[in-house]
Amino acid sequence: MTASNPKVIAVCQGELSVSGDPNVVLSCILGSCIAACLWDPTARVGGMNHILLPGRRNDASGHNKFGVFAMEALINELMHIGGRKTNLVAKIFGGANTFENGLGIGEANAAFVRDFLEAESIPIKAESIGGRQARRVRFFPESGHAKQLLTAEAVPIEETKPPKTPPRDRRPAVPPGGSGEVELF
Amino acid sequence: MTLKVLAIDDSRTMRDLLQVSLSESGFDITLAEDGIDGLDKLDAANPDVVITDINMPRLDGFGVIEAVRAKDAYRATPILVLTTESSPAMKARARDAGATGWIVKPFDDVALASAIRRVSA
Repeated sequence: MTASNPKVIAVCQGELSVSGDPNVVLSCILGSCIAACLWDPTARVGGMNHILLPGRRNDASGHNKFGVFAMEALINELMHIGGRKTNLVAKIFGGANTFENGLGIGEANAAFVRDFLEAESIPIKAESIGGRQARRVRFFPESGHAKQLLTAEAVPIEETKPPKTPPRDRRPAVPPGGSGEVELF
Repeated sequence: MTLKVLAIDDSRTMRDLLQVSLSESGFDITLAEDGIDGLDKLDAANPDVVITDINMPRLDGFGVIEAVRAKDAYRATPILVLTTESSPAMKARARDAGATGWIVKPFDDVALASAIRRVSA
């Protein structure tokens, strides 16, 4: 059970957070973005990421590198606190088409995360994807429970809560300045 | 001469990315899905460079580095770690085990190819 005053950690675009603390709630607001909530029911640890765009603009290979690395970073962080990749189950949220002109970003995001989880043999236990409404998602990383609140109307742009929590509770999925860094010993 | 690369990563998605990236850069690539699989394929691949992830089931990247270095034939084979990890402690552990370099994902195709060619020169 979650205590009466849970510690809410806002996971903003490009960030991720993991925990095994029953008093922690991971929260994000999603429009066309995707959040993957992964949970290890044995270790009772979970985490959430928040992916704005899985692909890189002008990426000639056509692969969704940034989304791939955001997913791998989340899995690695869960392994650091006792999770096992083979135990993981997923709940996915977001991918709304919130732009009036229908750019298809939400659909592309949803397709990316489904493809990734299938390739990595991580089952999707629940999902709320697509539509035209933004969502507020709350994920309880110790129990694996998730709640979402749909906004009443479509929103024109991606909304993100300003960070309310200290940086040590969450980190960029891709390390700032560290991406692609080559260090020879 | 075409350089032979053994790339070890437990993520199928990541192996697909590496297959495309390294093939397009002109390398002869062998893929392995974890450390044990990588060691099993080592002699057949006879790589000029080994690339390994760190967090993997059965045998992690540190175990791969130590096992490769323990074989006489591969004492001098360059080993590049390719990972989302970037902590100094993990880098130091890899370096002490005998790794040649550390590359933080997301990798850049050109930078990865350049690093492979540099360490194998």
